Amino acid sequence: MRTRHPFTLLTLAAALPTLAWLLPAPAGALGTAAVAFGLATAAGVRRVLVPAVVTAAPFWLFLFVLHDLPTTLAIGLRITTMVAGFVWLAAVLAPDRLVEAMVARGWSVTVAYVFAATLSAVPLFRARARRIVEAQRCRGLSPRGSVAKRLRALRALALPLLLSALHEVDERALALETRGLRSGARRTPLAPPPDPALERAARWALLLVCIAALVGRLV
Amino acid sequence: MNPLTLEGVEFHYPATEAPALRDVSLAVAAGEIVALVGKVGAGASTLLLVAADLAPRITGGRLTGTVRRRARSGIVLPTPWTQLSGMAFTVWDEVAFGPANLGWPGREIARHVERALERLEIAALAERDPVTLSGGEVQRVILAGILAMDPDVVLLDEPTAELDPAGARALWRLVRVLAGEGKAIVVATSDLDAVPAVADRVAWLEQGAVRAMGAPDLLAEEATCEAGLGTTVAGVWRAAGLAAPYPLTVADAIQRWR
Amino acid sequence: MALSPALQLDAAGFSYGAVAALSAVSFAVAPGERVALLGRNGAGKSTLVRLVTGLLHPDEGTVRVGDWDTCDYAPEDLARRVGSVFQHADQQLFARTVREDVSFGPRALGYGEREVARRASDALEALALTAHAAQHPYDLPPALRTLAALAGALALEPAVLVLDEPTVGLDRALRAQVAGALHEHVARGAALLVVTHDLGFAAETLDRGIVLDRGHLAYDEPLATLLASAERLKPLGLVPPAVAALSVALELPGLPVREREAAHTLARVAGAQPRP
Repeated sequence: MRTRHPFTLLTLAAALPTLAWLLPAPAGALGTAAVAFGLATAAGVRRVLVPAVVTAAPFWLFLFVLHDLPTTLAIGLRITTMVAGFVWLAAVLAPDRLVEAMVARGWSVTVAYVFAATLSAVPLFRARARRIVEAQRCRGLSPRGSVAKRLRALRALALPLLLSALHEVDERALALETRGLRSGARRTPLAPPPDPALERAARWALLLVCIAALVGRLV
Repeated sequence: MNPLTLEGVEFHYPATEAPALRDVSLAVAAGEIVALVGKVGAGASTLLLVAADLAPRITGGRLTGTVRRRARSGIVLPTPWTQLSGMAFTVWDEVAFGPANLGWPGREIARHVERALERLEIAALAERDPVTLSGGEVQRVILAGILAMDPDVVLLDEPTAELDPAGARALWRLVRVLAGEGKAIVVATSDLDAVPAVADRVAWLEQGAVRAMGAPDLLAEEATCEAGLGTTVAGVWRAAGLAAPYPLTVADAIQRWR
Repeated sequence: MALSPALQLDAAGFSYGAVAALSAVSFAVAPGERVALLGRNGAGKSTLVRLVTGLLHPDEGTVRVGDWDTCDYAPEDLARRVGSVFQHADQQLFARTVREDVSFGPRALGYGEREVARRASDALEALALTAHAAQHPYDLPPALRTLAALAGALALEPAVLVLDEPTVGLDRALRAQVAGALHEHVARGAALLVVTHDLGFAAETLDRGIVLDRGHLAYDEPLATLLASAERLKPLGLVPPAVAALSVALELPGLPVREREAAHTLARVAGAQPRP
């Protein structure tokens, strides 16, 4: 999957949740969720599938409390598809390949960077989050205990992550600038991603399916 | 024309009363190494940002005075992990990031990247994911990324902060090699004992102004020693109550002792 | 009455998968001892720190903090006895004010508000941060944020204080501040273990050197003899710091490795009057 053209991966990641919401539940929702899980498993159970399931889990909890079973199932599956799709995309799409693909098509590097940064932020902050958890635990923060305690613990974990990240935005901007991000020159693709006609056709096909689903929904 | 010249530069960060740089003038010749020393907050980092054309262009703020650059500069900031592009899955791609953005042809890029990896002794890390590297390794990758862009002016802010002593020595050796190739180098460092062997000139910054500038002997003078900015050897000599001029290095001390 | 060591490793070892990061490391640190943990990057120092704080449990041997075996405790419980500051500690700051952040540790350990306030004030005072106590941590320059993180560990008043590269980004004045605060802390009976590449700082502030090389204990001896010995330091990628090198070069009696002692010895030999 990693060797597929970035636009193909992007289209797939966008089409899955779109179809999940457009197609009639529960079959449609189940089908797209199954595809999403299939992709996630192929990309690595531990690396992709487990984080996807773990991230989606809290939503199921809330839904279960608020809605009846059929609605819970429908919405839950759709949200899971979205989450799984995003986590999968972050794992298989190399941000620099995406930037190259976008730039090759004429998009500005800065716009492409915004896309890429969103995806690459995940592993970067996962590493830092782990370090912050460790530092706070060594200060006596216990991740166990009552809900109130855990919420307080979350604050001690999430806030430093956010604050340090925000604080570094300035520095990151400086660093990127010095690496010529906005040099005005046309970026040389390092390994131009191959774009076989078959994949292009597949992308268009997916797009048409989504449009058909939308029409089907409205009519 | 010098690769880098600052004349009467005054710089204020946005919404700040006190200037970060006051009447700073500095001309750096090709092949010259200038070390910036001073207490924390004295303005060395800001000076480097101004020299790199990042202040006020990206940081915002007000600048008066002149900054003249003959050619491209590259800057390595003191926090390596914030400088990873976030767009590369391998060290090779990370180092190639800059040259690729400049639109160089593929073969050119490969040549520069290979050379940079070799110089920083990180060729073995080429296929690694930058996110998995240690602080010292990241610092070297970032420096390689800047060198791969072949800048004429190299600006370094605390380049040895994350390195172990052997790594630090290797870095200072590299800095001398780069100067030998004609690059102009300005390095802000708190490793005062390393400065005499590396720098051609030293600029002492205090509250944004250049308090003194001269040969590395500056670090053995009364004023710098009193401010805690002398070399260790000079400091010990002075504390022993021995007469000025104080020796700069252990070698100088041996000479004096005889 | 023999005091039990504050920290003791017995043939401790740890492997990441197949790679042995640390093997058969044994040493004991008594209360009041100040130990430098030295070695190349990759020698196992960080792994050892993680074992001491309980973030990792040893694959072989034991790690004891006082009479506690770290295998029986989670890091948040060990925090009662082990205060630690990791690299880039400023990234752990999050409270609205510096004082709040420094209070976080003692509060998490369950001390009463009066006690928490006292500990925070003492820690801030020790690092001359009282003037900045009401500021937001991110309004401080990075060097002071590092000190704030250290204050957070001091506020735990631990029996064992473990620091990983505490002087990065600090100028001479701030390094002296840190040295003073550590000295005070140790004087009250704590044991100190500092991972550092700054051999000058180690020489000034610490007494004993434990050197790791490729996961093994290479040396465990007083810094005064270790740092003056270039032949032993060389294979470890280290060189004697300035004062030690000066003492050796000038053949100063006693081979002092500390600035003050070297200055006094130098003065004595040269017949000069040292500055006060």
